[in-house]
Amino acid sequence: MAVETDHGIGEAVAARIERRWATLSIVIVGVLVGMATFIGIHQATMPQGRVETADPGTLHLSGEFIESNLGSAVEADGSVTVRAIGQQYSFTPQCVVVPLETPINFRATSADVVHGLLIEGTNINTMLVPGYVSVLPIRFKALGEHVMPCQEFCGIGHQGMWGKVKVVDKTEFLNRTAAKRRLTCVD
Amino acid sequence: MLTNKRLILSHFWLAFIVFGAALVLGAWQMFERSPLNAWHFNPEFYYRSVTAHGSAMGYVFPTLIAMGFGYAITEASLEKPLVGRRWAWAGFFLVAVGAVVAMIPVSLGLASVLYTFYPPMVGNPFYYIGVVMVVVGSWIWVALMPINMAVWKRENPDKPVPLAMFANVAGSYLWGWTAVGAALEIIFQILPVALGLKSTIDAGLARVFFSWTLHAIVYFWLIPTYIAYYTILPRAIGGRLYSDAMARISFILFVVVAMPIGVHHLFADPQVGAGFKFMHSVFTGLVALPTLLTVFTICASAEIASRLRGGRGAFGWVRALPWQNPILLATALSLVMLGFGGAGGLINMSYQLDASVHNTQWITGHFHLIFGGAIVIMYFAIAYDLWPHLTGRALESFGLMRTQLWLWFTGMIVTTFPWHYVGILGMPRRMAFYDYANPAISPQAFSVSMSAVGGLMLLTSGVLFLIVLIRGQRAPASEAGAYRFSVPLHMPARIPVALNSFGLWLALMIGLTVVNYGYPIAQLMVLNETNVPAVYVGASR
Amino acid sequence: MSEQKLFSVRNPWFRFSVGVTAAIAVLAALTGLIWLPLAQPDLKLSGIWDAICSAAGVPRASSQGNPIQPDFKTSNVVMTSEMLTRSNQVSIGRGATLAQRCAICHGPQGVSDANSPNLAGQFAAVTYKELNDFKTGARVNVVMSPFPANMSNQDMLDVAAYYAYLPRVPSNQLDVKLAPPPIVVTGAPMRNVPPCGSCHGDIDNKAGSPWLGGQSAVYIKAQLHAFASGTRRNDISQQMRNIARQMTAEEIDQVARYYEAQP
Repeated sequence: MAVETDHGIGEAVAARIERRWATLSIVIVGVLVGMATFIGIHQATMPQGRVETADPGTLHLSGEFIESNLGSAVEADGSVTVRAIGQQYSFTPQCVVVPLETPINFRATSADVVHGLLIEGTNINTMLVPGYVSVLPIRFKALGEHVMPCQEFCGIGHQGMWGKVKVVDKTEFLNRTAAKRRLTCVD
Repeated sequence: MLTNKRLILSHFWLAFIVFGAALVLGAWQMFERSPLNAWHFNPEFYYRSVTAHGSAMGYVFPTLIAMGFGYAITEASLEKPLVGRRWAWAGFFLVAVGAVVAMIPVSLGLASVLYTFYPPMVGNPFYYIGVVMVVVGSWIWVALMPINMAVWKRENPDKPVPLAMFANVAGSYLWGWTAVGAALEIIFQILPVALGLKSTIDAGLARVFFSWTLHAIVYFWLIPTYIAYYTILPRAIGGRLYSDAMARISFILFVVVAMPIGVHHLFADPQVGAGFKFMHSVFTGLVALPTLLTVFTICASAEIASRLRGGRGAFGWVRALPWQNPILLATALSLVMLGFGGAGGLINMSYQLDASVHNTQWITGHFHLIFGGAIVIMYFAIAYDLWPHLTGRALESFGLMRTQLWLWFTGMIVTTFPWHYVGILGMPRRMAFYDYANPAISPQAFSVSMSAVGGLMLLTSGVLFLIVLIRGQRAPASEAGAYRFSVPLHMPARIPVALNSFGLWLALMIGLTVVNYGYPIAQLMVLNETNVPAVYVGASR
Repeated sequence: MSEQKLFSVRNPWFRFSVGVTAAIAVLAALTGLIWLPLAQPDLKLSGIWDAICSAAGVPRASSQGNPIQPDFKTSNVVMTSEMLTRSNQVSIGRGATLAQRCAICHGPQGVSDANSPNLAGQFAAVTYKELNDFKTGARVNVVMSPFPANMSNQDMLDVAAYYAYLPRVPSNQLDVKLAPPPIVVTGAPMRNVPPCGSCHGDIDNKAGSPWLGGQSAVYIKAQLHAFASGTRRNDISQQMRNIARQMTAEEIDQVARYYEAQP
């Protein structure tokens, strides 16, 4: 009889400790999800807000991704729009030039297979899926040069798909746009 | 009571042979893309090798382990022969033949699309047909597990289903449903193109389908490991399982929330709305819950074992554990790797942090640590534990087993920690080679060399593992006795029907999948203009 | 164990699990589909319905301002991987007749020593695309440009099919033992030069990339320099200019000599 009571007490203790741990686990998960939500609202860093489509086969015929429209453009409100495409096995423009401390709207898509794009030394990272346009707001806080590899397997030449990004002074950038409306740093 | 020993042993042996071959490829890949190698070679060999390595390690190896271990659990825990023996053999042959059918075009370089397929790139149709055969073979197992449970329940209406079997059935349901995503992608999107019936494909939709499989497949790989934690470890070290009910809840949580979270792999994709990405992110957080519960229960069970052996003190009991026992060693090392890997996983689940590591070597490091580390080391433990019962011969090279486990652990840490680090530096994944002479990436060179050394250690450990098993097959016969699972500390007299059946959980699993995937899939399916021309790979060969 | 009904509100497990799951799903949906999008100032949403649609991912076609039009002709061919990969006897026959006037430069069997491209065994999609680009003016060559000017689309398809049907003939410089230079085998990854063979057929084929084996070194070299300097611009979205401009003059020489010696 005594043994059974002990057993009953032991079981109750075990269950209580277990419940405490379960509660703590739920709190941990809740805090993590809450943090992501808070940052999403507070710093307005959320995934791309809209889904946009573009036909990869005819990118070069018309629309915003024709060859002569790729590169960096200054908008009326002073922001900069960068347009780029990924294709087997290069980005066009191969070298993207952007001004320092300026809100930049990056718009890119793929002309053939799935590519990706990341700029080393920054948090800029997106997929390029044929048929869809990737849009991301970016801003550079330091001058300099970055490499921009394709980060998704896109075929046998994937390891050779490396582009560049140059961050230049804002005045220098604006001076250059006086002569040319779409800037790149391809020489 | 294991009656179909040959069936179970065939699954394990085929699994480990496939594993050994894929391990060689993996070690070669590590070496050849590191600065230790002069990189003047055809990059196609690398992608061919990655395709073979990924397909073997991702689809064939863990599936065979889950199947073989599942049959062993069925017979040992229900104490009756497997129902559907012939079907089980049919499933085995489907998997084996499928693996060969898939590997032929891959080894010829006709399907270097990596195991994640990447449409609109499309390779030789036989690669996809082989993969489908592997999945269909495993679906026979998926059907057999609940059938065996149902038959047993009818014969034993008043007994709770043994925990090991309950978890095993949870794993089979999980896999049955999660494989549907990739199956839909292959059968309705890729195969018609590979066979030349169609020439366009919606790459965005394919990625959504694949994400349905891609995340939960990890939990399918994980379930044999968790079964070993709960039902082998406490018995192997002479203790008790802390709680039977909490174990069931953990497995149930996997079934319910492992599926509707896959879109977190698509955080950086343009074809899924931000709202659905957020919803998947919330459920991704929830899937940490069963793991947190498991870590507690397993540590508590180990403490019970230690105190029964006279362990004392708040932490002193850790020293009193039987560390020479390979099962305990494997579990401890597995939990350490799970801890690191899980912490990395929590980083991947948040959109903002993921942006800095998405598709970098960080991700490769992450899933190798979780799967290759925490999960596979327990597959070794399962084999060590089960082998004497399957072969009727004792496994006695305990020293070699411990060396092998330590080497695997160390190798995995040496491989994956530098991988995580170069990922933070921004090193992209899946590239055949890198020009480390370039100042932009030269700081990554040392870490990559470290990883390659780790790869070599893993290969050595894999060889040791096979040596232990082969020695076991040649040892003198000795009766191992009946195969038993752990007994809970407090065996509940009654179990709520919810913890003894799956109806409710399957309903929630399917319901949540419909809520979280229904709209994104439906919308992309009606969107015709995003069908893009296929790009055939290896067609010129 | 069967006395309890599973799917019943009286079963606490059912009540709790369904309730909690539904609550989390609804909360996550409200946050993700309404609250979060409305908190993003860049989105410029017109209301709750717009927020829900954008966050759910209702697609819209991209249309951004007035694109800058090019001041030169670009190729208007839409290339796909399966384009012109099936041969057609009628087309080949017609092409053989039409190709007679090409023979003076390209040789009666699609091979010549005139440093003009050898067309025998060339991928049909490549010959078709170049004919088209000469015709539209996207590619210009004093000798070649007049020829396709009056060819119909079918004519160009037929000529392309005919040359694809002819067997490749090795050049006089054939030397299969010549070791490939590094720029051919591995390219120069950090300069964005992939291995030539990943597009040009020796490893894999990218639609529109010609087979280079046996082409005249003079021709290959001239084209690479033309791409690099931007005097040839009919490669869609700069796919070849990006690569050629990153190659050194020495590498261009090596590539030209290597491919001339290949079958």
